[in-house]
Amino acid sequence: MNAHRACDDFHGSMRPLTRRQVLGLGVGGGLALYLSRAMPIQRVFEAAAADAASNPNGPVLVSVFLPGGVDLLDTLVPLHDYGRYADLRPNLKVQGVPLAGTSLGLHPSLSRGAGGGVKGLYERGKIGFLPGIDYSNPDLSHFHSRHFWETGLITDRSAPGWLGRWLDRAGGRDNPLQGVSMGYGLSPVMRSGHAPVAAVASPGDAGFWIRGAWGDAFDDAMAAYARMGRVHGGGGALAASREAARLAKLVADRLTPYAEHDGVDPLASSVAYPDDSDFGERLRYLAAMISKPLGIRVADVEADADFDTHDNQKELTTLLGEVSECLSAFQADLEARGLSNRVLTFVWSEFGRRPEENDTGTDHGAGGLAWVQGDRALGGVHSDYPDLNRLDRDDNLQVTVDFRRVYSSLLEQHLGTEAGGVIPRAGSFGRVQLVR
Amino acid sequence: VPRRRAHRSWTEAHVRRAFWRAGFGATPREARHWARRGKAATIRWLLNGGPSPVPRSKAPRVDGHRLDPENEWGHDVLWWLDRMIRSRHPLQEKLTLFWHDHFATSEQDTPLMLAQNRTFRRHALGRFPALLAAVTRDPAMLLFLSLANSDKEAPNENYARELMELFTLGHGYSERDIRQAARALTGFRADWHDDGSVKTSYDREWHDAGVKRVLGKVGHLDWRDVLDLCVRHPAHAPFMVGKLWDFFVGSPLPRSTRARLVRAYRGSGLRIKPVVGAILAHPALYRNLDAPTMVKSPVVYVAGSLRTAGQGIDRDSWTWMLQAMGQYPFQPPSVAGWDWGAAWLSSNSMRVRFDFANYMLDTPRVGVKDGSTPNKLSPRQAVARARSAVGDPWTSASTDRHLLRLAQRVLAQDFDERGDMCQRVLRHLLISGPDAQVH
Repeated sequence: MNAHRACDDFHGSMRPLTRRQVLGLGVGGGLALYLSRAMPIQRVFEAAAADAASNPNGPVLVSVFLPGGVDLLDTLVPLHDYGRYADLRPNLKVQGVPLAGTSLGLHPSLSRGAGGGVKGLYERGKIGFLPGIDYSNPDLSHFHSRHFWETGLITDRSAPGWLGRWLDRAGGRDNPLQGVSMGYGLSPVMRSGHAPVAAVASPGDAGFWIRGAWGDAFDDAMAAYARMGRVHGGGGALAASREAARLAKLVADRLTPYAEHDGVDPLASSVAYPDDSDFGERLRYLAAMISKPLGIRVADVEADADFDTHDNQKELTTLLGEVSECLSAFQADLEARGLSNRVLTFVWSEFGRRPEENDTGTDHGAGGLAWVQGDRALGGVHSDYPDLNRLDRDDNLQVTVDFRRVYSSLLEQHLGTEAGGVIPRAGSFGRVQLVR
Repeated sequence: VPRRRAHRSWTEAHVRRAFWRAGFGATPREARHWARRGKAATIRWLLNGGPSPVPRSKAPRVDGHRLDPENEWGHDVLWWLDRMIRSRHPLQEKLTLFWHDHFATSEQDTPLMLAQNRTFRRHALGRFPALLAAVTRDPAMLLFLSLANSDKEAPNENYARELMELFTLGHGYSERDIRQAARALTGFRADWHDDGSVKTSYDREWHDAGVKRVLGKVGHLDWRDVLDLCVRHPAHAPFMVGKLWDFFVGSPLPRSTRARLVRAYRGSGLRIKPVVGAILAHPALYRNLDAPTMVKSPVVYVAGSLRTAGQGIDRDSWTWMLQAMGQYPFQPPSVAGWDWGAAWLSSNSMRVRFDFANYMLDTPRVGVKDGSTPNKLSPRQAVARARSAVGDPWTSASTDRHLLRLAQRVLAQDFDERGDMCQRVLRHLLISGPDAQVH
């Protein structure tokens, strides 16, 4: 990442995250912690209810990460230059299904799912594609590039995620569910400087129990656990552990009312999600949680698929099929729950892939694909498709839209927050209209 | 007087710290034993293994049967956990875990993953170049990073990139180096048999024998040349010792210490043992004995909780709990391995760690049978009894107060099971509480 040091976004543009940095010392790579000021437990309930009550129709932004680097060419096929495309991809080329009003075609698997899948959503004006998205002088390391996208900063420093930073600015101080990662761990996107945030794997069984203990003994034990979580001091690791205990208890207390009871699942969905898809299940949980007064404002979900198709790009058929089925089910679920006018979903991957195939797959490249999806999304194609005849000096696609332009636009157009407080030098990236 | 001072400089707390960092915790007996023997003897044993009062837990059984790591789901994980618990060389297992994270490989058949695991163990403390060569031609790795069947017609960059970025250098190379190295690394192939098994080999016909330029060297380079160039590159030794330091110590590595470790590493012909030996002897590892500075990874937490309590593998619950905590062995999330540190402790994984204590309370060593606890125990005695049952873990002064107060409250209640129940909640919180997550 040396090449990026000179233009490191971290310098001077972030306000100092003193406590976080102090806590980050001594816990390995100086990883981000998600800490908040101590607060009395009863305030959490009030805070979550207040968040939800004060803004019951507030916008929710969902980040969906497709890990590995999604190939642009085989996903959104350049029908306008099919001959050149076929030269670059003699073995891999796919017959894109034409998208009305464009010169592009979609991978056939993106028609799978409710209402014609991603293609159906596009046709109903609920998807805006962003081909060629990346940043200048792209880094082809998964881990560097992912870090840039997660933080919204071109930096090799540890830093909170861009959604976590938004919560630091615009979020509350008392409700960890305001920012939720769907899964066992907290996504780097959601790591904050001081705003409390949560990870939830399965909202239906978030509660606590102790084998062979009940009544007052159990209550006393849980009170002791909560008190241990509120102890101040200790080094970074110990403070992080205490904070995790405190947040786990808060999240459990908030979600316990929604546990399945007497065969009734308060989080059940009326929409069918794909069987055997953990990705779909996480989206289903998320839709259900957004429908409850939990005060969720931003959320992130990672797909299980691995799009790092070095030697197996034909598997895009399966990978994109699952994505299409899950995302269209999610949208249908939000519509059925009456939430679709509030929730905007942003789908992204850390980079694109090399235009010229390596026989059975493609190596890391630049100029990938992202899209916004939802009732509020402005439908269409919002960036130029990279010119297949004008590759960069490394034989990669030219970048046509910077991801920070997209982040800045989402912050302002959907979340209603001035972008400069979250994305350094936001003004320099310009804006693209993504919300209708 | 000097004798007393020497005694104070190497206490049971030092032993516990060394054993958690270099292995999977110390039992009370080990802590006493090695505190008496002194620092040098302790580190010597950690580096070399050998006779010692290791826990004599039972051999692993699940549902009354022996483990079948190659064929039964999850038994590969249990097999490795058992080694962590009962090994006479815990550091070897810890470094095997380190290498599994460093050369993270996933999604391959269990026999291949177990073979790779044996490779990591065999080379755990040895010469890095030998380990790197073994990993490069390891079937699971060849398949995972697409080096198998990367041929001269269409070289695949996957392995070349991670070789430099994650395995040996971190920085100091260019995109061009990656692409040229990918050509030099061609020649490995994988052939599948009808029974689904795979055979990997090196085929000169598939190798690009042309001239390449990698890291400043020009020639008819092949895979051995590329590995050699990487480990001889000036960025390699600082990269490697820094990664080992982060794994064992976590606090920032001072420049002078880095230079000393680099000298030890290079001077030994790129051996791991002298570097780890120097790290285990370094005072930084023993700072803040009263406020541990590293988060236990799920594997370390689970294996260590079992080991220090003297409890062997007698069920398969630990496998899915590790999955839910976010560290399932043989399935790292990506080639970069796991995200170590505070990231282990999300609100969700903390809840799973809480649940883990319930399963510990179901084991013979930690569980409390009805009627097994005298009701006449004082709160202090109750806490001492609970501590002893779970291997006398480190706790902070504030936790000690909270536990004592909890014992007072529960024992003050008026019901027959109060002694047993008091033990259960105390043992649970000693395993599940914030203090137990750090070392």
